[in-house]
Amino acid sequence: MTPHDLVITEAALLDERRWDEWLELYSVDCVFWAPAWIDEERPTTDPLAELSLIYYTSRDGLSDRVDRIRSGTSLASTPLARTAHAVTGLRTLADDGCRCRIASSFGVDVLDVRTQRSHRLFGRYRHDLVKIDDRWRIAEKYVLVLNDLLPGVVDVYSI
Amino acid sequence: MIDPAALISDTADGPFRVDRSLFTDPAIFDLEMRHIFERSWVFLGMESQVAKPGDMLTTWLGRQPVLVTRNVDGKLSALLNSCRHKGARLVQTEHAHASLIVCPYHAWTYALDGQLRGIKDRASGCYAKSFADESHDLLALAQVDSYRGMIFGTLDPDERPLSEHLGETRPLIDLIMDQGEHGMELVPGRTAYMFDGNWKLQVENGMDPYHLTSTHGSFIHIVAQRTAAVTAMAAIKSRDFRETVTANGGAFGFEHGHGAVWIDNHTPEQKPINLTIDALRDRVGIARAQWMLNFRNLVLFPNVQLADSESLLLRVIRPRSVDRTEMRLYCLAPIGEPAAARTMRLRQHEDFFNASGLATPDDSAMYEECQIGFAAAGDCLQGYDRGIGATTRTPDEAAISLGIRPCENVSGPFKIQSELQYRPFYREWRRRMSEGLSRDSTAAAEAAE
Repeated sequence: MTPHDLVITEAALLDERRWDEWLELYSVDCVFWAPAWIDEERPTTDPLAELSLIYYTSRDGLSDRVDRIRSGTSLASTPLARTAHAVTGLRTLADDGCRCRIASSFGVDVLDVRTQRSHRLFGRYRHDLVKIDDRWRIAEKYVLVLNDLLPGVVDVYSI
Repeated sequence: MIDPAALISDTADGPFRVDRSLFTDPAIFDLEMRHIFERSWVFLGMESQVAKPGDMLTTWLGRQPVLVTRNVDGKLSALLNSCRHKGARLVQTEHAHASLIVCPYHAWTYALDGQLRGIKDRASGCYAKSFADESHDLLALAQVDSYRGMIFGTLDPDERPLSEHLGETRPLIDLIMDQGEHGMELVPGRTAYMFDGNWKLQVENGMDPYHLTSTHGSFIHIVAQRTAAVTAMAAIKSRDFRETVTANGGAFGFEHGHGAVWIDNHTPEQKPINLTIDALRDRVGIARAQWMLNFRNLVLFPNVQLADSESLLLRVIRPRSVDRTEMRLYCLAPIGEPAAARTMRLRQHEDFFNASGLATPDDSAMYEECQIGFAAAGDCLQGYDRGIGATTRTPDEAAISLGIRPCENVSGPFKIQSELQYRPFYREWRRRMSEGLSRDSTAAAEAAE
């Protein structure tokens, strides 16, 4: 799978709720980081000292999410919202054969099936991929959610 | 004709019932905006957000846009954020800094205290002579005051002083604001989200111990799993509710509508302040340091909450309509706390309180389901009955230890999961709504004469 394919595939796996395959795209010590906004102009830039929406430095953070989704005991996750990711404008910012950086834009249409209300979360991705055992894996996914006043559920599958 | 007193059924040592129209009737919502938000002390922001002369912040008092400024002399002004000319909002961003307030529409200019300083092309405007006799200063809130860095404002010149309004909750606010040797600050970054439900659903949930083991069952399970498997996520030490349910806890009801709940903390290592516990004990004493470690949720009437539990949260409720509410969340932290403590605090806040976390979304979903369920006809009264059988009206051991005099309290095993703490809110709601309606009807009668 090429790096661009991986970015597109990741989004498809989330929409298709193929959680285990989605987790497998990430390295074990991956970083998943969605900053929060300080004000109208600036997102936070230091997750150790400033608030984020989500900040994990291990794939365990993502598998916790998957466990919660599957638990059936989270009202926000059961029934699960339907999502449709649109990932566009993929650009390779760097690629040396072992590591690469892909920038893109995303929009996720989310239907809350409990209330039949839909909303859209949108923003920009920056994927840092590494070659592990000859396969590209996600070492870091940076998600800049451009929505500020969040309209509904925000989880790893809706951004 | 709405009769607030008839909507609350309040019997001493007996059932306490609230009519669900409080959550569903748009007419009641409008009256709440008018008689509660546009009269009570409403939280406007932190002093640290407007620290230097020229600093400004924008916020809401009910439906009304408000501008808080720090004047050159260091005093705060709380103004209606609306130009006296055509009503345009004067400051459009959450924060601003300037020496004057200039309307972008026709450049009417005001000082930081709201006094008119200039009208563009006034001399050539051929104004009527009487124009100069009118005040064109920005309208100000009747009172603005702060306690321990929290700024409150009211539109009512006759509202009791802030210190009286906060009353016996002040030692609980102190327990938060004294955690930092050098003071407290808002961590950069705030989050905001909406839910389709009445604002009072959040008021209640902010002091609801009863929903933890059911609504947040998935959170409890995830934390337990992290601990058992010693995953990397165990390092953030999110609160393990399995310890909570075997602890002691209680609830306080305060005069003027405030409520609080507390739970003993048997896992102090879960709290960021525990990293500097020796210094904390030296500074505030062992008893107060223990109370700082304990879990406390404080809900100030009508719309601001301080949760010192899974991280330290300042949460502001902004009602948008009877079934739509906007939430704004901030993380409070001691200035200069160790980096490891700050990081832990942030991860815990993100894990539990964030709309993107593992707990708050389940609360929001629950509020929405309540709002939907409220439409069911039939028994329209809902009860707040837990803990009533053990409620006392003299300060209990916890209150004495805290140095507070609540009007009622209950304490014992966590499993009591009291509902007494909601009652002061609805009593104050009833008082303000009844007085407000009565005032309006007197005014209407006088006007008719």
